[in-house]
Amino acid sequence: MQIPDFAEAEVARLRNIALVTGAGRGLGRVLAVFLAGQEYDLVITARTRAELEEVATSIRRSGVRVSALPGDINDPGHRTRLLSETSRMGGVSLLVNNASDIGETPLPELAKASLERFRITLETNLVSPLALIQDALPQLQQTHGMVVNITSGASQAGYERWGIYGSSKAGLDLISKTLATELKPLGISVVAVDPGDMRTQMHQEAFSNEDISDRPLPEVTLPFWAWLTNQDPLVVSGKRYRAQGMLWEVPATT
Amino acid sequence: MGGPSNNLKREELFFDRPAELFASSPPELRGKARDDVRLMVSSLKGTTHHAFTDLPDLLTPGDLLVVNESATLPASLPARGRLGNIRLNLSTKFSENLWAAEPRWSSEQPGPLPLQKDELLYIGESRALLFQPYPGIPRLWLMHFDAPASELMARYGEPIHYSHTPAYPIETYQTIFSRSPGSVEMPSAARPVTPRIRDALLGKGIGITGIILHAGVSSLEIETETVESQVLCPESFRVPFATANAVNSTHARGNRVIAVGTTVVRALETAWASDGLRACAGSTSLYVHPGIGVHALDGLLTGFHDPVTSHLAMLSAIAGIDCVKGAYAEAVQHRYLWHEFGDSHLILRKPTREAFNLMKYSANN
Repeated sequence: MQIPDFAEAEVARLRNIALVTGAGRGLGRVLAVFLAGQEYDLVITARTRAELEEVATSIRRSGVRVSALPGDINDPGHRTRLLSETSRMGGVSLLVNNASDIGETPLPELAKASLERFRITLETNLVSPLALIQDALPQLQQTHGMVVNITSGASQAGYERWGIYGSSKAGLDLISKTLATELKPLGISVVAVDPGDMRTQMHQEAFSNEDISDRPLPEVTLPFWAWLTNQDPLVVSGKRYRAQGMLWEVPATT
Repeated sequence: MGGPSNNLKREELFFDRPAELFASSPPELRGKARDDVRLMVSSLKGTTHHAFTDLPDLLTPGDLLVVNESATLPASLPARGRLGNIRLNLSTKFSENLWAAEPRWSSEQPGPLPLQKDELLYIGESRALLFQPYPGIPRLWLMHFDAPASELMARYGEPIHYSHTPAYPIETYQTIFSRSPGSVEMPSAARPVTPRIRDALLGKGIGITGIILHAGVSSLEIETETVESQVLCPESFRVPFATANAVNSTHARGNRVIAVGTTVVRALETAWASDGLRACAGSTSLYVHPGIGVHALDGLLTGFHDPVTSHLAMLSAIAGIDCVKGAYAEAVQHRYLWHEFGDSHLILRKPTREAFNLMKYSANN
């Protein structure tokens, strides 16, 4: 059967465009490099310019388009720049809210935690991710895109001293689940992903005096990203996944 | 997570087996019927010896067999690259272009190969990029293909086989239940179930129901010191509602649920919830070993497995390490045939599931 020419042109234009925050190191970096390998065009952001440039350089070798925009996601002007860039490229189809603030280190008990510092953690881990999603909605609606919010085991467990970070991530879990319901009619999907215990700089800051060399590197999550990015987004929307878990479940249909 | 007392050491899964005790070809190519193999039945009560055609008489009306309906792909590809001509066994599909795969020197000779990140392999005119060693399983790589793997398999693929057998036509690797292509190694336990055995089972009131689990490349020897530390590759699976219902009502009647193959055990145990089996789909890397036990089944119909493999840890989870060692010693003595074209082994959980759960319950309280 002959496919009309205009349809082929449409397909050629439909490249996947991902926006990854906190992409300068750790999990965000691994995920950005993986997505580039899967032929996603990328907008990446992080606060540390040098690290971000290095990631952009290694991604460019994959032959995809990449824009590296250093800045703070708590800055509304920076968020606008990020989404103008994804819009210019053709519209974001995968938004990964990965940038996170661990808060005070060593991690404080809630009874002694600085409330001022708590507000910054909430801003970074909870308010700004939602702001980015709000601003991205027109693009996500157009691309039938997916939002991935990076959460943590600390959001559910009640570990000692993890109350500040954990409560911000618990809030993000509920935002993810609620948005999944609210955005389904628009064809937009939302999942929360707990990457599990890993050997990253943020983790080292949380365990400031401990040896964390027994933890796996963030590459341990790659099979999960390979799996998630090939699922039907609306089928997995609303789920919370553990990237190092033994079951990645989709709803049973038969 | 089990305490130290649950940890099975890899050396506990060693046993001696004379090299000649394996089936290098399927019975139908040895001038016999597919179901003309032997069947050993083991439980804590001991071991008995039968023909596979006796299976319907060894089960009770109301019992349920659960089979894997996944069909086998020609997933072994010839590849070439910096190291010359090698073989690439596909294992786990993420998309048509994205797989976990095992590069080997040849079908006979395993790796690991001294490959590097971003290295290219060629399959025909198509390219495959090695972009990351598989986390926790160094002999596997995550690979990106510039052509759909289904096309590469159709054009160049042959069934995965190892040093003990040649590659046979793909039909050799299917069972009468195979209907959904996706396994790279044959779910072989149902191979000897011929239409006449199926009809005899159904005629006697023994149920047959299905799951789908697309099997990846089988684990080699367990490489970690304790059996539980071994990492398994995720496998795509589906336990349908009808199957979950059939399993639950079989348990409720007090009948036995028999998994036909280790892949079925993985699917059923993944789908097990505290109140019974539920419909469940997705990707599982559950490793069934004595530290976690089994809950959804009362027995396993399978072949004979190599020493120090994860399959033996699963058998030990069902019947206990002593029962497995006793059974395997007896299988060697009676010269049963190993591997996917060999003889069959029905291993039953004793005490019964109900009594077992009751015991566990009282031990914990």
